[in-house]
Amino acid sequence: MDGKQSSTGWDPREAAAASLMAKGLSVPPELAPENRKILLVGQGARFTDSVLDYALNLADRLGYDLVAVNVGPASPAAGPLAGLKARARRAWFCAQASWAWRPVRKRLKAAGLKAEHQVRFGGLGEVMTVLHREKRRIEFVLNATDSREADMLGGVSLPVFTISTGKGEMNVTAEPNVRQVLGRTLGWGAATVALYAAVFLNSESIMGYFTRGGWYAALPVATVFLFSYIHGTFAHHLWEALGIRAPQQKVRPQARPARRQRPRPRLRLNV
Amino acid sequence: MHEMAGSVPFIDLNTTTILFLFCVGFVGGLVSGFIGSGGAFVLTPGMMSLGVPAAVAVASNMCHKFPKALVGAIKRYKYGQVDLKLGLIMAASAGVGVQVGIKIQEWILQSWGQAGSNLYVSLTFVAVLVLVGGYVFYDAYRIARQGGGEKVSPLARRLAQIHLPPMITLHTANTRISLWFTLPIGFATGMLAATIAVGGFIGVPGMIYVLGAPSLVASATELVIAFVMGLGGTLKWAVNGMVDIRLTLIILAGSLLGVQLGAIGTTYVKEHMIKVVMGTIMLIVAVSRALAVPRYLTDLGLMALGPGTLTVLDKMSFLFMCLALVVGAVIILGAMWRAEVSGSPGIEATEESLG
Repeated sequence: MDGKQSSTGWDPREAAAASLMAKGLSVPPELAPENRKILLVGQGARFTDSVLDYALNLADRLGYDLVAVNVGPASPAAGPLAGLKARARRAWFCAQASWAWRPVRKRLKAAGLKAEHQVRFGGLGEVMTVLHREKRRIEFVLNATDSREADMLGGVSLPVFTISTGKGEMNVTAEPNVRQVLGRTLGWGAATVALYAAVFLNSESIMGYFTRGGWYAALPVATVFLFSYIHGTFAHHLWEALGIRAPQQKVRPQARPARRQRPRPRLRLNV
Repeated sequence: MHEMAGSVPFIDLNTTTILFLFCVGFVGGLVSGFIGSGGAFVLTPGMMSLGVPAAVAVASNMCHKFPKALVGAIKRYKYGQVDLKLGLIMAASAGVGVQVGIKIQEWILQSWGQAGSNLYVSLTFVAVLVLVGGYVFYDAYRIARQGGGEKVSPLARRLAQIHLPPMITLHTANTRISLWFTLPIGFATGMLAATIAVGGFIGVPGMIYVLGAPSLVASATELVIAFVMGLGGTLKWAVNGMVDIRLTLIILAGSLLGVQLGAIGTTYVKEHMIKVVMGTIMLIVAVSRALAVPRYLTDLGLMALGPGTLTVLDKMSFLFMCLALVVGAVIILGAMWRAEVSGSPGIEATEESLG
């Protein structure tokens, strides 16, 4: 964890709202004071479950809103199809990020939390600078990236808390609910048994159709897809019920590029 | 045994057959989930020893391979270990490799007959497995002696410096390399898959030592290649009505349990354990195939051995194949057990790879 002094700054809208309230007048919605916010920043299109658990619990406990931002890589401008490739890559990243955020919406709704999900592209420093300008009342930043606090802020002054899922600083792994896991294991197990029973009790007729060849080739392929989904889900829950699960989300960290020392102008007074 | 769908005979199932297929499926799945490939080399001869015709054995094996690879790949994708772009590029070039591999096989079959083809397959097996497996094992041993922590190979570092467009950036594999260096690896994977049915024995080491991908990413990405190639192969066999769905589903019952356990195992152990398991299996399989060579030399008239000796050698060859899988599984489970007992070395391994 790393902390820095926050600079909240003077906000004309807040000042106007405060002055209206002081005069006993109703405050129009556009001037209503915004709730405090936690800015959750992650690189890649999805946040890990443990990071989301931590961020949502914290927002709930503090009564803050959440602004979650998936930061995609800035596309290198090279090659004849660079623009097209960059657009396609961004669209793909956005689609992945929105898809990954879908289940979180349900959790937010259930918890009664207000949250905003955004996708940005570029360097972390630039993104942080823009977000700090656009978003008001960000109280602190939850850093779910591989970057260090000082590297990610890009000159913005905000407190940063790093959630590390696998590098030792703060492993946040939520223990699953035992009853839920057992229930799911039994449910998917029953579905698996039913599927196997259906096939093996009718194996004569099934084999007759499945070995006809031609377009009937779709039958065995579709069957194994169905089995891999049902039985695969059962296997996942079974190992979880037996307590065998990944100890942490082990994502290989990207090698950090060496920081370039930029020459900075310095004020010197010759007296 | 009974006939269905024309002339292809399908075996009758009994408890022993079911148990054997389930267990081999489980162990094969465990190894696949961990190193990206494995299991197929035991299942096909294993099924044939149960009386399944060769074509049905290959088809049913392949039909279980792609859903297993899919489940493993999804699981490891969630752990951030799969480089999808690399996997798809490799799978595309592997598809070409498979076609060329089949053509070579057909040519050898026409020129030297079945025994010549078998000899070619076995010699390829032995040569590739001894060379590549030996190097993988040596590398794993070296890393273990140094206390863990993988480094990018000098060859991969040198290739990454060559700017030969189109360059591709592989985010998960954490490298930027010319497409022209990835294609031969995929091609060789496909060629080997067409020859010995286990392309991963060249694909995974290729991704590690030539492209510079970490073992975790290489073994996980191999599952994507296995899925694409397995699906293509299955469609080809299924169109001819060769898939025995009962055998496939029994193997799948075991392998889906195994593949998930293997995938979870990768998060428990240090990265070089993947190389240890892979090197060990490759070397034992090489011994197994070397034991099969005398039969083919005898068939070609280049060696004279009695039928009794050849039968013993055949049995030993099959036993060594099973041994390869069992040893691999024991190393994986042992490493997981040790990791569980002594805390979590996954964190340590990640920190080491940073340094």
